[in-house]
Amino acid sequence: MKYLSLKIEEINKLLKEKKITPVDLVEEAFENIDSNKELNAYITLNKEEALRKARELEDREVDNILFGLPIALKDNIITKGLRTTCASHILDNFIPIYDATVVEKLKAKNMIIIGKANMDEFAMGSSSRTSYFGAPKNPWNKEKISGGSSGGPATTVAARDVLFALGSDTGGSVRQPSSYTGIVGMKPTYGRVSRYGLVAFASSLDQIGTMTKNVYENALLLNAIVGKDEKDLTSANKEEEDFTRLIGKDIKGMKIAVPNFFMSDIVNNEIRDKVKEVIKVLENNGATVEFVDIKYIDNTVTLYQIIAMGEASSNLARFDGIRYGLSKENPKDIDDVYYKTRAEGFGEEVKRRIMVGSYLLSGENAKIYYNKALSIRDDMRKEFINVFKDYDLIIGPTTTTTAYNLDDPMDDPKKSFMDDVLVIPVNMAGLPGLNIPIGFDSNNMPIGMQIIGNAFEEAEIYHLASFIEKELNLKLDPKGGENNE
Amino acid sequence: MKDKLTKEEVLHVAELARISLTEEEIEKYQVELKELLNDVEKINDVESYDDDILIACFSESAKLRKDEVGEMLDPKEVIGASPRHSGNYIEVPVVISGGEGA
Repeated sequence: MKYLSLKIEEINKLLKEKKITPVDLVEEAFENIDSNKELNAYITLNKEEALRKARELEDREVDNILFGLPIALKDNIITKGLRTTCASHILDNFIPIYDATVVEKLKAKNMIIIGKANMDEFAMGSSSRTSYFGAPKNPWNKEKISGGSSGGPATTVAARDVLFALGSDTGGSVRQPSSYTGIVGMKPTYGRVSRYGLVAFASSLDQIGTMTKNVYENALLLNAIVGKDEKDLTSANKEEEDFTRLIGKDIKGMKIAVPNFFMSDIVNNEIRDKVKEVIKVLENNGATVEFVDIKYIDNTVTLYQIIAMGEASSNLARFDGIRYGLSKENPKDIDDVYYKTRAEGFGEEVKRRIMVGSYLLSGENAKIYYNKALSIRDDMRKEFINVFKDYDLIIGPTTTTTAYNLDDPMDDPKKSFMDDVLVIPVNMAGLPGLNIPIGFDSNNMPIGMQIIGNAFEEAEIYHLASFIEKELNLKLDPKGGENNE
Repeated sequence: MKDKLTKEEVLHVAELARISLTEEEIEKYQVELKELLNDVEKINDVESYDDDILIACFSESAKLRKDEVGEMLDPKEVIGASPRHSGNYIEVPVVISGGEGA
């Protein structure tokens, strides 16, 4: 029996009635992962500990909907006693001594951590091909990328190994792979989820996000991980709320904006057509959809390059070969440790970004580039705020193409940024954004739509996403299983 | 605009980043870093409304916590995470070298 393909309420009922136990679910998850081994979704599996935890839960009262359910974590979310590599050689022997706040929260719900999922090295990339452990493969076509940087979490959820995964999104790294693999991926408002224990890439942009096969389960998972955290100064102090509360409601009177830039010729035709079809559906159901201009939105890749590379160069200075991780043997002196450990430990993309970032922040350059970027960033956020005075939500395609081939060339240093041209603005403005699958291209690869909300209005995003999900009723299991979403 | 950085420029940014490079890498980065830096230059063509900058999107004003001893990591575990340690100390190689009688 495949329990993990049942509706989450049914799984919960079976657990409550003791007809199944968390051990059944964990064993099933590992069977799934094993049968999908060639997808390379994981860097480290947590089998022994997951089974131990599942057995421990057997006699426990089933006190919440997420109880006993397996979850995968992107390998930049640190887990006490469980190797956390960030897909980098420099951390390939790193065993953290504490849990990220989100991990503590999942454990409080008695969710079971099944393993650490593959990703781009230090989340730098858009195809997960910069992973020291090799790229994950797209469950829809194993010749294709799963996107990045949260390619492993996207792969394992899309392949139906597990129901849940957490990723991180600095410039689209939850939404873009979700689009390429046909799943639901949410980047919450900056500050909604504690970043304590998320290995920092670009601190002013990073946010942990939820990845699931459907909208309802995504909102349930977000319910579990939000909240103010004393250990993260940037976490927001917000009242508790139920993100599922608007799911299933009609959309009559909803006002939706589509930035012209999102439907310009940088996006391939099949994707634009699919988005237009969805717009028709929304209009036919009482929503108003209008095109708008958002100034600066076409500058966000440049902003991102400056801000993300600058902050990364500073954040990654901590990998020095002294405190943890890889360290070169027999150094001449302390500089020798730094230079050689970092030369050997970091991959190409990471080195490139650290070097450019160091340059951008050095001396006068900080003012010329970094401060200027922060100033434009502020202007762009104001533009978004203006749009939300007149509209409830913003929509558009998540990506300009569908997933491309794993063996496409990697020699263009700008490519990984351009893949994320439509998803970066959301990080710049700190807003919440979600990918919802809306169909397939002529090669049967998933197409995704992005829904962007005003700050802290994730519930409104789930509202529209659930409507689209229900209307389109797509078959989203790559192996063609029954649609039970 | 020249299409690559000089070798010295690459070595300078590598020094800022504390990364040693092979000759082969230097050549590669002369081109790749220049491409990225050219891209970044586009920021100078963008006019901003005002001088306001945005670092943290929705941060609340920082509150100091009470000066009380709270939960903390075990120093043994923290030191133990270091690749070279001895007792309560992290071992490092020579920091200041050279000079007579040093």
